[in-house]
Amino acid sequence: MDIQTLTLALGDSTHAGRRFDVMPITGDEPVLQVTVSGAEETPVYLTVTDTQILCLAYLFDEQELNPERLNELHENMLRLSVPMPLSSLGKTGDHYVVYGALSPTSGAAEIMQELVTLAENAIDLLQTFEDYLA
Amino acid sequence: MRSILNKLLTAMRGGVNELGEAVVDGQGNRILEQELRDSEQELKQAKQELAALMAESASLARQIRSEQDNASKREQDARKSIAAGQEDLAREVAERIVGHERRAVELTQTRELLQQRIAGLKERVQRAEKQLADYRRELQVVKTNERVLRTTAQIDTNINSQKSSLNTAKETLERIRERQAREEDRQTASATLEKELTGADLDEKLKAAGIDGEQDAIDNVLARLKDSPAQ
Repeated sequence: MDIQTLTLALGDSTHAGRRFDVMPITGDEPVLQVTVSGAEETPVYLTVTDTQILCLAYLFDEQELNPERLNELHENMLRLSVPMPLSSLGKTGDHYVVYGALSPTSGAAEIMQELVTLAENAIDLLQTFEDYLA
Repeated sequence: MRSILNKLLTAMRGGVNELGEAVVDGQGNRILEQELRDSEQELKQAKQELAALMAESASLARQIRSEQDNASKREQDARKSIAAGQEDLAREVAERIVGHERRAVELTQTRELLQQRIAGLKERVQRAEKQLADYRRELQVVKTNERVLRTTAQIDTNINSQKSSLNTAKETLERIRERQAREEDRQTASATLEKELTGADLDEKLKAAGIDGEQDAIDNVLARLKDSPAQ
């Protein structure tokens, strides 16, 4: 599944009653910004490599957090990362992210399922961890 | 693998995350890729060699069996010759038997040496396969890390260039709450509309005013029954 095929597939499809608004992010890497209807606030970014399809949504940046409760937040993030369907929690640069990786052989249905789940998880996580914001 | 992970962590903690600052430099990456290619080459050669040796060993086994078969066949010939009193013929056959038996022993020795080489080579193949898997895993980690860094940098640049979508978590939460409130309003509105359409809202109002159609009906029946008591 490459970026072009995926862009076309997502633009025309609905999954579990959701529509997808796809916008390519300009730059050297093939990156898509996908907005899932009903979860527009947390766009999902998708990139395809040789070994995986990586989807991620931003939660918050380090400087937005209450530094005194950082350890507690990390502990809770690690614990929630395991049971969360199709998503894991991580950090890249200053960004705390929720992400999921799929096999490059995944079909459109699996990718749409991932996108919907990730966008919804991002919203749930933001609301869950709101108290840790500075 | 552990050294790669440690390098990555050190670089990340040191804040090496900006675009263009690869955590494991391009040189290191190329070395890994070269090692990967060398391992693949070695593995390919070892496997070809192994296949050739195994074919040779199978061929030797066939030859050994053939010599042994011939020896036992000739033994019968020799016995028959002795029984027929043909002592000279029996001696000639016996010489043949010795020849077959010697060749069988020689071939068996050769084959044993070959089996040892095969065992050694199999071990080499296994080692190379394991090393290859290790290199692939390392390279994947390094490449994925670089990809994630480049991708997030690209997303950030893009978000920053269109100021409207630059959001803090608090702003995002506010928008989520607004949407959730709108959805709730819509649900309440549609529930109200449904009540109006089915007349359920009117029934509720009447009940609240102490006018209950259902209760009235029951009272009426009771009154009728009391008017016509049982005989």
